[in-house]
Amino acid sequence: MSRMSWGTLGRTLLGRLGGMLAVLSLVSVLVFLLTRLAAGDPMAMLLGDQASLQDIAQARQRYGLDEPLWTQFLLWLGQVLQGNLGQSIFLQMPVSQVLLERAEPTAWLAIFSVGLAMLIGVPCGIVSAVWRGRWIDQCVSTLAMLGASMPSFWMGLLAIQLLAVGAGWFPVSGYGDPGADWLTRIHHLMLPALVLGTLNSALIIRFTRASMLDILSEDYIRTARSKGLPEVIVVFKHALRNALVPILTVLGLTLALMIGGAVVTETVFNLPGLGNLVVRAVLRRDYPVIQGALLVIAAVYVIINFAIDVLYVWVDPRVRHG
Amino acid sequence: MLHLPRRHLVTLLLAALPFATFASPPKGGAANLAMIGEPQSLDPMASTADLVGTIMQHVYETLYTFDSKWNAIPMLADGMPRVSADGLVYSINIRKGVKLHSGRELDAQDVVASLKRWMDMAPRGKSIGKDTVSLEAKGSHSIEWRFKAPSASLLAQLALPSGMAVIMAKESIATPLASFVGTGPYRFKERRPDQFVILSRFDAYSARTEPSNGYGGKREALLDELRFTPVPNANTRVEGALSGQFHFADQLPAEALSRVEKGGAGVVPILTPSYGFPYLVLNTKEGVMANQSLRQAIQIAIGQGEMLTAAYGDKLFFTVEGNHSPQGTPFYSTAGTDQYNKQDAKRAKEMAEKAGYKGEPIRLLTSRNFEFHHTMMQVMAEQLRAAGFKPEMQVVDWATLVQRRGDSKVWDIYMTHSGQFPEPMLSPPQLGDGAPGWWDTPAKAKVLGEFNRQSDPAKRAQLWGAVQQTVYTEVPYINVGKFSSLSARSSRLQGYTPSTWPFFWNTGLAK
Repeated sequence: MSRMSWGTLGRTLLGRLGGMLAVLSLVSVLVFLLTRLAAGDPMAMLLGDQASLQDIAQARQRYGLDEPLWTQFLLWLGQVLQGNLGQSIFLQMPVSQVLLERAEPTAWLAIFSVGLAMLIGVPCGIVSAVWRGRWIDQCVSTLAMLGASMPSFWMGLLAIQLLAVGAGWFPVSGYGDPGADWLTRIHHLMLPALVLGTLNSALIIRFTRASMLDILSEDYIRTARSKGLPEVIVVFKHALRNALVPILTVLGLTLALMIGGAVVTETVFNLPGLGNLVVRAVLRRDYPVIQGALLVIAAVYVIINFAIDVLYVWVDPRVRHG
Repeated sequence: MLHLPRRHLVTLLLAALPFATFASPPKGGAANLAMIGEPQSLDPMASTADLVGTIMQHVYETLYTFDSKWNAIPMLADGMPRVSADGLVYSINIRKGVKLHSGRELDAQDVVASLKRWMDMAPRGKSIGKDTVSLEAKGSHSIEWRFKAPSASLLAQLALPSGMAVIMAKESIATPLASFVGTGPYRFKERRPDQFVILSRFDAYSARTEPSNGYGGKREALLDELRFTPVPNANTRVEGALSGQFHFADQLPAEALSRVEKGGAGVVPILTPSYGFPYLVLNTKEGVMANQSLRQAIQIAIGQGEMLTAAYGDKLFFTVEGNHSPQGTPFYSTAGTDQYNKQDAKRAKEMAEKAGYKGEPIRLLTSRNFEFHHTMMQVMAEQLRAAGFKPEMQVVDWATLVQRRGDSKVWDIYMTHSGQFPEPMLSPPQLGDGAPGWWDTPAKAKVLGEFNRQSDPAKRAQLWGAVQQTVYTEVPYINVGKFSSLSARSSRLQGYTPSTWPFFWNTGLAK
């Protein structure tokens, strides 16, 4: 690589880094304004239905919620810049600690369900493409359509009734008893992962099928076949390898989406993950948690995007050479 | 006549016998208890939410508590208070030898410090605090409480597990609380937000010697651990109870009854009639509802029976009655109930015209966080429309409603609900001062003044009729009726006695 291209690369990456910081600044302002300008009052939620208006006003004062918005924003921003996301009003613990605790079930759920989606989606997509138009393709396509249109809460409740209550194979909800070992935790994650994995596999099937069909009609595949290569080698070695790029993109996107929390599934299965946390924080107007969680989720997205940009630069020479 | 399936009747009868006693349940084990959400706080003085009281009543105790007939009976107090002839001085002895979770013995200083904190920060405590002249320890195990005016509801206020007047170790008192040192049969062990609150047995618990009676009498921690798990999704609570994952599931939706009944021998439905009441608050301060004649027209226009049917479906789950306290309770009265459930559109229209109604929009504030609120409001809007009113539904989330109702400029009627409490002054807050709706009239001051000054229970019961009549005349709020609650327990959970704030002492888990 020439010095020139390293310079271009550096400039590109610096530009992306600047963009990343700009996005995060914008997100912090938006998140703060959205939570504060939305109606609702954390103190009214905290004190309960029988609290008087004076009690609520006094509590707002205690938590500094009666200060002007810009003062509150600057205070919060100052904390964030020092790496302190503040203290949860309801949970009485640091927001960073809450986020860290909640990230674990969400991360495992994301990994398991995306893994399962891949294990179901890729082989089914390949079969569907190879036997295009046959009965098996039609079966797989119908199932994929069904999976793509089924709401996750319904599938979740169905799975709970059949596999947890009916068959008794899985626990209905939660993340295991206090002090549960990792095997128990995984047992609790299996049913939600099964639901999410199955539903997400629909997308993977369709992408794999489409991608494989594109590749299978390429000239070099015809050449490979005419050379007399066995069909297995043609499909798996020559076609699949090249078809994988778009499939991996979809997988990555699905994974990134789920890191932000599979809100509905986490709610149905009562999993203490990030999605569940954000929903509950919004319902009780726990400002520091909403702000902290959204900011961190946005940061993760931005960082993943940045990482992908770096990878593109690395992989695709056209980007590198501007 | 209402025909109930036999099985329902059996369930109802069982639930109607709250606090029935069972053969002594086994000791040991941990119970998984699915609750409706995460407690707002673990400080029972900081929040009036029922969930906070339900959990923390195991950790902290009060001077008085309720027996099975809702009478206030001593808990940490040694006996009933000695009250001076003018009703202004209460002397209360504290039980001796009661151990705090820290191992130290409870004394009068702890009681004084705790009650002062309660009067300082708990919404109900503050109203008692306003009437308090002094509260001090007299010796190591006695307190003296002086008031400006007699307070008939004092003992009920001290006993209520909502915004609780709990007694805590004085050295643990801080805001926010950093440790939870009480005298209850369970001690705080661990809280992991949105996952569980764990309480473990307090082995040195000092129990009363009288037999268990309601929330009072002998309390025994049979279970090693209580695990309160927040499960906000009602369907998940139902499925968890059916699968046996939860030993108790609180507040299930009405439509879950048949599933729980068909759920086999492992799960038992618990139906508690007259568990609570939905009510509409009218804005007497500003806007179109400030006109009392118009409020009366609204009262005539609506049909509570239709509203309740739409919200709950099965008649097992609601009672259409205008008396604020259920039949068979001391404050039962039919005063004013001829204005209840009229749904007379024609008369309402005439009344509205006479009151000068010119078709101004009537802003109905409601939330879908409680689906039954929203359903009842929709039915009511139709009833109002039929009577020529112009209702305007404002559907918001609960947090927004709780904030907006504090602003008299933005709503005319809002919907909420409350538990059915033994003492009428405990709820709704509109009977007190300054609550949204801002009901403040000479008639209110007169009837409530008389009611609150009277300490003789029999006379108070009579005076309540006048209060109820005034509510029907001035219409600051409209009682919609009563609803039952459905919960479920595992058949392994033995000794559980259905109650408004579920408690799990004297409750064990069969092997």
